Amino acid sequence: MEENHNKNQPNQYLIPLAIVIAGAFVAGALYFSNSGATANAPVAITDTNQPVAAAPEPTGSTDAVRPVTSEDHIKGNPNAPIKIVEYSDFECPFCKRFHDTMNEVMDKYGDSGEVAWVFRQFPLEQLHPVKAQAVAVASECAAEQGGNDAFWKFTDGYFDVTLTNNRTDIETVIPQLVKEAGLDQVTFQTCFESGKYDDHIEADIANAVETGGRGTPWSVMIGPDGKTYPVNGAQPLAAIEQLISIAKNEQ
Amino acid sequence: MYVKTLRVVFAKPLYTTLFLVISFFVLSVAIMLPHVGLIRTLWQYESVSVVEILLLTANLYGSLGTNFTILSASYTVVIALLFGIQVTLLAYYLKSIRNKATNLTSVGASGVGGLISGFFGIGCAACGTFLLSSILVLFGAGGLLAWLPFGGEEFGLIGVGLLVYANYLIIKKINAPLVCVS
Repeated sequence: MEENHNKNQPNQYLIPLAIVIAGAFVAGALYFSNSGATANAPVAITDTNQPVAAAPEPTGSTDAVRPVTSEDHIKGNPNAPIKIVEYSDFECPFCKRFHDTMNEVMDKYGDSGEVAWVFRQFPLEQLHPVKAQAVAVASECAAEQGGNDAFWKFTDGYFDVTLTNNRTDIETVIPQLVKEAGLDQVTFQTCFESGKYDDHIEADIANAVETGGRGTPWSVMIGPDGKTYPVNGAQPLAAIEQLISIAKNEQ
Repeated sequence: MYVKTLRVVFAKPLYTTLFLVISFFVLSVAIMLPHVGLIRTLWQYESVSVVEILLLTANLYGSLGTNFTILSASYTVVIALLFGIQVTLLAYYLKSIRNKATNLTSVGASGVGGLISGFFGIGCAACGTFLLSSILVLFGAGGLLAWLPFGGEEFGLIGVGLLVYANYLIIKKINAPLVCVS
């Protein structure tokens, strides 16, 4: 006969060990989810076109955000003191949600010229194969033919109707949006099949990764003084407004 | 037996407080994981006041409704509550047995396994940003997510299951007095 607790003496260390393991895991979670965005030095905001790097090393610093130029797709005042550069995936459900949030932000801060919204491409091929990239190309072709207005008409229209997560029937939706934007179908199709925007989209993706983006939506807010703020995921309107208020006070 | 045990434990304010603190901590970690970079950045800008950072942090709790699917938000809350219950029950149990060593292998393994599995599935479900995808991408296996029916959220559900099991085991322990066995 032996006492149960003597038999299991070594297990008295299990609980502290379990707590240590759990703590280590939480620390690991923090590391993995935030090894990107780091301290930011102010970035220069220019109106000139900058050549884009083909495949920059991911630095995870938001100050690596490519300067906003007239080549970007901008909603609102291009010279707004606060710019929110969003890297988005047309088939991501959270991008759809954040698109609505950003439209609300622009309704509130766009008319006064305080905030500009810059849209860049970040199609996640592994999560939304083929379709996210195809819609990104389509949006660029819409912009090429119809300018900034056509781009936003296409983009707003797509996020309105997309079922997200690769469930959208792009064969039907894209031609419909092209028609609604008043674009020429033949010219659009030629552009769409040309592959001419593949490098541009790759450059956007590379810049998203370089600034610390590892999922979508990923955004970098640029304040009046050039300071940058990482905005990860679909943050609620209240948080974006609070961040705008902070950025405004920084100038 | 199980409900009665929970009633006994949570009737004591100390254990209820412990439960609330642990649950809130786990929930906060899950919600704030994607935003640590932003908060850290704000702390580094000297002109940003502590009040502004706290206000922003409070607003970021709203991302439970925008950065998560209904499924992931649900199991994130459930995991936080279950883990809070587990830690509380463990504290109660350890206090009740004082210095008597006992076998808690299965309880500990299930609880930690549940938390780990749960954390794989949580930490912001925005496209590609949750922890599992980060780790898979690190090992060049990000495409695996596309093959999972729920895109990796399965791990959160497994976490819930393991934590329920761990709580069941610890309640059984509480109700099974230490005895001599032959």
